[in-house]
Amino acid sequence: MATLNITYDGMSSDVPVELDHPVTDDDVRRIATELVRSGGVPGMHRARLQADAFRYFVVDRFRGPRGEERIYLRPKVPFGAR
Amino acid sequence: MRIIFCGVGAIGSQAAVLCRNLEATLVFIDFDRVESKNLLAQAYVKPSVGKNKAEALKLQFLNLHGVKTESFGVRVTRDNVEALCGGADLLVDCFDNQDSRVLLSDFARRAGKPLLHGAVSADGTFGLVRWDERFTPDAEDTAGQATCEGGAHLPLLGLLAATLARSVQDFAKHGSRRDALVNLSSVIPTAGA
Repeated sequence: MATLNITYDGMSSDVPVELDHPVTDDDVRRIATELVRSGGVPGMHRARLQADAFRYFVVDRFRGPRGEERIYLRPKVPFGAR
Repeated sequence: MRIIFCGVGAIGSQAAVLCRNLEATLVFIDFDRVESKNLLAQAYVKPSVGKNKAEALKLQFLNLHGVKTESFGVRVTRDNVEALCGGADLLVDCFDNQDSRVLLSDFARRAGKPLLHGAVSADGTFGLVRWDERFTPDAEDTAGQATCEGGAHLPLLGLLAATLARSVQDFAKHGSRRDALVNLSSVIPTAGA
């Protein structure tokens, strides 16, 4: 079990996800899109969310204090803007 | 302790104000000048308009009690980064562009200086506080992508500046290095040492 945190449109929410194998960043974006569309993310139901809504979002991965996997899908910050 | 704020615009000027209780010398570096529109989101007042930002912030701190400040109204470059930042006990990166952030990061890693980054997303809905050991520049979506323009996003900027200042204060008092994800519904600590 991992926790996926999605930040979108000024909101942020945790959702538990069952992952039986390592997932790529693109997998995370697809999973997040489906979760948000289906209403599976508390406070963040967007039934018509576009398929590429998270195209430019960044995936950060951390370990929690007890070793649990936490995945964060977040907007970019201009660390990268020139 | 000598804390150097690199860039004192929307994030840096507000974070610096929230660090005024520290027993430290606060140093401001920024080559830019204060424009009228900056008064919406940055810690400047009308008499600051036209002045160099670093110098203007130093002047404003004279209105506060017992805060030691210094200012350098120059652009940080490869040629002067050692002279400007070599004496820092802590560097705080509040620049608005990747080149300056990377330059500062390269220096900090080379010199073994602690460096904390603060930044917001272009749409002003999300911010990040991250220590340099976990700093990776985000690639641009498109070439020349705009940065957050500030005034319209003041509440988020204030929250980010406060979170950044808290990380500075935690480091100054305990040596801890805590990151955070920031948006208007939450501040999420994500790592610390």
